[in-house]
Amino acid sequence: MRNTDREFSLIRTDRRVVPSGRLWNPAADVYRVADGWVVKVDLAGVCSDELEIELHDSFLSIRGCRKDTHYREGFVYHQMEITYSRFEKSIQFPDRIEGASIRQDYRDGFLIINLRSEQG
Amino acid sequence: MPEPIENAPPATETPAAGQQTPASEDLRFATQTPGQPFEVAVLALQNLTIFPETVVPLGIGRPRSLAAVEAALATPEKLLSCITVRPDRSDDTDAGSKDLYEVGTLVMIKRMERVAEGMRIIAQGTERIRVVEWKQEDPHMRAVVEILPEPRTVDAEQVEATKRNLQQMIQDALALLPNVPPEVRIAVLGSVDAVRLSYFLGSILNLGVEEEQRMLEANTADELVSLAHANLARELEIMQLRSKIASEAQTEMDKAQRDYVLRQQMRAIQKELGEDETGEAAETELLRERLEKAELPDEVRAEADRELKRLQRLPPAAPDYHVIRTYLEFILELPWLKSSESKLDLAEARRILDEDHYGLEDVKERILEFLAVIKLRPDTKSPILLFVGPPGVGKTSLGRSIARALGRQFERMSLGGVRDEAELRGHRRTYIGAMPGRIIQSIRRAGVNNPVLMLDEIDKLGNDYRGDPAAALLEILDPQQNNTFRDHYLDLPFDLSKIFFIATANQLGPIPPPLRDRMETIRLAGYSDREKLEIARRYLAPRQTTENGLNNAQLKITDDAIETIASLYTREAGVRQLERTIGSVARKVALKIAQAQAETVTVTGNDLRDYLGPPRFYPEQARKELPAGVATGMAWTEMGGEVLFIEATLLPGGRGLTITGQLGEVMQESARAAQSYLWSHAAEFGIDSSIFKDFGVHLHVPAGAIPKDGPSAGVTITSALASLYTGRRVRPDTAMTGEITLSGLVFPIGGVKEKVLAAHRAGIRRIILPSRNEADVEDIPEDVRHELQLIFVSGIAEVLDAALEVLVANPPPIMADAARGGRNPEPEPLTVKG
Repeated sequence: MRNTDREFSLIRTDRRVVPSGRLWNPAADVYRVADGWVVKVDLAGVCSDELEIELHDSFLSIRGCRKDTHYREGFVYHQMEITYSRFEKSIQFPDRIEGASIRQDYRDGFLIINLRSEQG
Repeated sequence: MPEPIENAPPATETPAAGQQTPASEDLRFATQTPGQPFEVAVLALQNLTIFPETVVPLGIGRPRSLAAVEAALATPEKLLSCITVRPDRSDDTDAGSKDLYEVGTLVMIKRMERVAEGMRIIAQGTERIRVVEWKQEDPHMRAVVEILPEPRTVDAEQVEATKRNLQQMIQDALALLPNVPPEVRIAVLGSVDAVRLSYFLGSILNLGVEEEQRMLEANTADELVSLAHANLARELEIMQLRSKIASEAQTEMDKAQRDYVLRQQMRAIQKELGEDETGEAAETELLRERLEKAELPDEVRAEADRELKRLQRLPPAAPDYHVIRTYLEFILELPWLKSSESKLDLAEARRILDEDHYGLEDVKERILEFLAVIKLRPDTKSPILLFVGPPGVGKTSLGRSIARALGRQFERMSLGGVRDEAELRGHRRTYIGAMPGRIIQSIRRAGVNNPVLMLDEIDKLGNDYRGDPAAALLEILDPQQNNTFRDHYLDLPFDLSKIFFIATANQLGPIPPPLRDRMETIRLAGYSDREKLEIARRYLAPRQTTENGLNNAQLKITDDAIETIASLYTREAGVRQLERTIGSVARKVALKIAQAQAETVTVTGNDLRDYLGPPRFYPEQARKELPAGVATGMAWTEMGGEVLFIEATLLPGGRGLTITGQLGEVMQESARAAQSYLWSHAAEFGIDSSIFKDFGVHLHVPAGAIPKDGPSAGVTITSALASLYTGRRVRPDTAMTGEITLSGLVFPIGGVKEKVLAAHRAGIRRIILPSRNEADVEDIPEDVRHELQLIFVSGIAEVLDAALEVLVANPPPIMADAARGGRNPEPEPLTVKG
């Protein structure tokens, strides 16, 4: 609640409007490992069926949509702070990645994507 | 609140769409697929347009809006259409679908919290939508909408050029807006996309709904960017103008602010000094209460109320504040209607006058006459008395006694040296440091409006270009006018008619005739030696004895001593010097007693040399013998009377008449008249007329340093000249006074009492007076009169008969002034009055 307050008041101090991107852009960590890369995305609550991961040259694109799946008839929202939205995360690597196998996995609410060399 | 439950989330097919379009291009803009209509809740926006790619906080309060948000929250994707109400319909309390534009923005609700007024949400604009079909009005509006594509670029170069221009203008605008949050600054300057930049500008600039809607509906980037450019250019101009005005206003403000700060400081200082505003307010309140309680005439009350109102409006720091306050306080202090009870018992008055003053029988008599009139007719205008007499004869103390006899307050003001009319009548309040005049101030001191007011030394009023105070006195002393006396300071009429005015003067001469005319003159001549003795015995000696710490047993002053002091140590008509001299004797005695050299001391005439040194004055004694050409005259001075000698001598071979001794015009003329008379009647008096041709005459009147004037020496000069020409000496026991005419008549003169007393003091026992002055002899104390032989004459022949000795064989040479002792070294004005 405090966070919300801060955000409201921050925005309202001067211009009430701030620019934004069009879509939600979840946070991601990228690890370099011996045989490739590990990407960890802060993306809980997204069903893997609705996830689209694509590797193109040196770009990794993660797209999808987080939806509120817990809402049931008779629920009334009292407070909402979680973003439900279509998202797109695009990560550029230093090199072209070729011949890597993509493995995705959910651990503790993080989406883990392994890009490992098949030769490795 | 209606519970909006909408199942069938409209965007279920979106992932499929995403999969269909391999390029990121597609998803970048699409929450929903363009061209694919879907149903969504609609929120009506009042006076606000949300653009894509902006985050806007919204307050939600109206039932329909709340229902719309609830409905959106019930969907998995939390999407909501926001459409602006047309400006001409925006008055509607809860707008319906017909009041809205057709194009709006699809937003995603990022956050929501409930507040007392409803909800607050943060909405993020995603893409533009157009309403295809309205589905529902209540409990919230729903519509089928389609996503509009992002404005496409027609002429890329044109768009880029306009965008760069925009960025330049934004730089300028930000310079004028110091309070823009840094994130906004960065977002605006860092924005590379022309469309995003334009949308953001549209949402932050205060353009009005119509212009914002035009920008939202723009279908090409070219149109959108040029709209943004035009609007920003206009806004920038306004901003620059505003900032110019603001900076000008700032200078104004700075001055106002400075004044304010100084005033605050002053207030703080006043508070420290105990003069803070509450004190001032209490002060005016106190004044108001006092005014209410005070007894004031209607006119005065009206004026006072008016001034009080002015005072209440003024801040205490205003210069007028204290002026008005002083004025009001002065009004309050004046005895407008307060008078002292006049008790008048004539017998008591007589007793008081006798108790305070010895002698002055005729004066007391006249005072009692006036008091009697007042007693019989209390509403009568009080007479204005003028006491004329030498210093120290008791004029002022008589006034005090009158006040005591009447039971009234006594106030005294000296007019000596007053030469500005404003001193009597005050200054107008417009002047800084203005004060009321002395008259009003005396009344305030007296505290009642019917005091005995003594105007001392009225003959010493000054008079110069600043105004004539005597003229102001004319009004003050006129019983017909002075009931509405207006002091310049008060500027309100004050009734002076109840005041008993008494003026004093040493001489009548300097008092302007109109002023003299308003007053009843009462003359106080000097005291005779016998009166002085009585006064000294009754009042002066006892007073000086006690003032010097002695009692009656310790100091006795014999009559002989008092007489000696009066004649040899003082020279005055009054008794002031006499009292002072007795005082110095008393001090010497006090010293003796304090040093235990004696227990009681009796001072006799013979002891005085030890106490006071050698006598300071030898009275102008009658000379034992007068040579031919010398005659004894009498003069009137402010100090009383005096004896003077007129000396004439023949100058063989000389010519005409030489006159010395500081004689005034009148006296010189009377000398010439005397000579001419004798010349023309030479034969009659047995004078050889050749003597007028062969000898000049020098006439001298000692003491040479003292100016003398007046016609009353005419008789004396004639006698001196006649004595010179005939060789018959003037009798030394005889003094004379009187004005002469060329035809040989003797006219009356003034100051008979003083002159006769002086002559008596000098040992003269024969006095020649004009016969028309016979009535004045009444004034001479009985005892003196008995010792004198008074000869009344009406012509010069009679004078000479009475004055000249019968025959002298050889006229002795004119003797030096042998018989005379020292005179008072201080030159005194000596005016011989006719």
